[in-house]
Amino acid sequence: MNNARHLALAVGAIAAVLVAGACQDAASPPGTITAGAQPPPPPKKDKGECANFRLTGGGRTDDRSHITANKSTPESHDFATFGFQARPDGCPETSGRGNLEWNEHDPNALGGGFAFHGRVTFFTNTMDETAGTTGCGRFGGFGRFNPRNGATTEGVPFEVRHACDIDEPGRGVDHISIVIGPIGDGGPTYERHGLLSGGNIQWHRLTGNN
Amino acid sequence: MTLKPLLALTLLAGAVQAQTVTGKAFGTYTNVAGGVTQSPVATLPSSGGMATGQADAFNVAGLVSGQQLNAVTTGAVDNKKTGAQSVSEVESVSAAGGAITADIVTAVATSYVNPNGGGSDAEGSGFTNLVVSGVPVTIDVAPNTRVDLPGVGYAILNEQIASGDGVNSFGITVNMIRVVMQNFLGQTTGEVIVGSASSSVAR
Repeated sequence: MNNARHLALAVGAIAAVLVAGACQDAASPPGTITAGAQPPPPPKKDKGECANFRLTGGGRTDDRSHITANKSTPESHDFATFGFQARPDGCPETSGRGNLEWNEHDPNALGGGFAFHGRVTFFTNTMDETAGTTGCGRFGGFGRFNPRNGATTEGVPFEVRHACDIDEPGRGVDHISIVIGPIGDGGPTYERHGLLSGGNIQWHRLTGNN
Repeated sequence: MTLKPLLALTLLAGAVQAQTVTGKAFGTYTNVAGGVTQSPVATLPSSGGMATGQADAFNVAGLVSGQQLNAVTTGAVDNKKTGAQSVSEVESVSAAGGAITADIVTAVATSYVNPNGGGSDAEGSGFTNLVVSGVPVTIDVAPNTRVDLPGVGYAILNEQIASGDGVNSFGITVNMIRVVMQNFLGQTTGEVIVGSASSSVAR
């Protein structure tokens, strides 16, 4: 009886994801999402499934090539710092919770650099797009975009496409990829991906309430 | 008969609960003649989680000023691995009456422990366009570099203070700028800290 109920719930969840995906595709072609009006794209089947782990992390990323963990030149100000905690609500759900802080210092980046304060609404398992590493987390939600130049925008979607815990400590091995935006209707989008030049990302299996 | 499982559970619970994390980060701190001012502090709960402390600007005339102060600390405890990491950033920094300036001061403190060991480091910490007494500093500043500031006292740049026993506990505090003010007798009269991050773990 329980098995039948679980099966029914799973089928329902899959159907809901398919319907949501269909609505997303039909109503919102890329680049035209209204900030805060609808959730970021749901996890794709090949990129994320419900997760049984949580992630914490904090540190700094400089080099965008994903090859080195070297710091950028002081003149460029081209680096970002971050901190986050994120966790799923538990399988079969792909919803999640947590927070993210992201500070971009590059004056040539969106807004002349910015601070972003995000609230996590989904969390899934994923595979790193660059090296095929398993055990990475994918999460996202909405947040406040506070640029150096310009006005603050609320309800901006974000997605950490992957945050990967490869080893301890994290410098030169752990890596993170993030997309923030679009900022406003059809506005620009920010992306950054790199190895950690300092700090750490940690993967923790969920146990009970922990 | 039932004591053994209970004992095992108690020991297991004790082993898990024994793991702790600490984390703390802040942008600026001053202590002069007993008067303390400090920008918002991010303090990590001992069970892990996340905390932040932010301010658009901070200014204590003649002592320190900065903008876009961001402090964040995160961490987690489990029976496999435990970690804490803290980040502090301050932009447009001026300290010790302008004797030390920087575009950005970044402090990063990381600590972890797992069954294979543990450690702490300050990787990621640094200065962006640091100038000391009018002289640009174009190389990475070595940990615990002392700079004399005539008429003020001295400063420790990239101060790194290790903590823990190195076996079951690991920790570090990073103060990117710590100015110690002295009178003409060499007595300490005040202290200014810019960019502070600390983390520690214990099992």
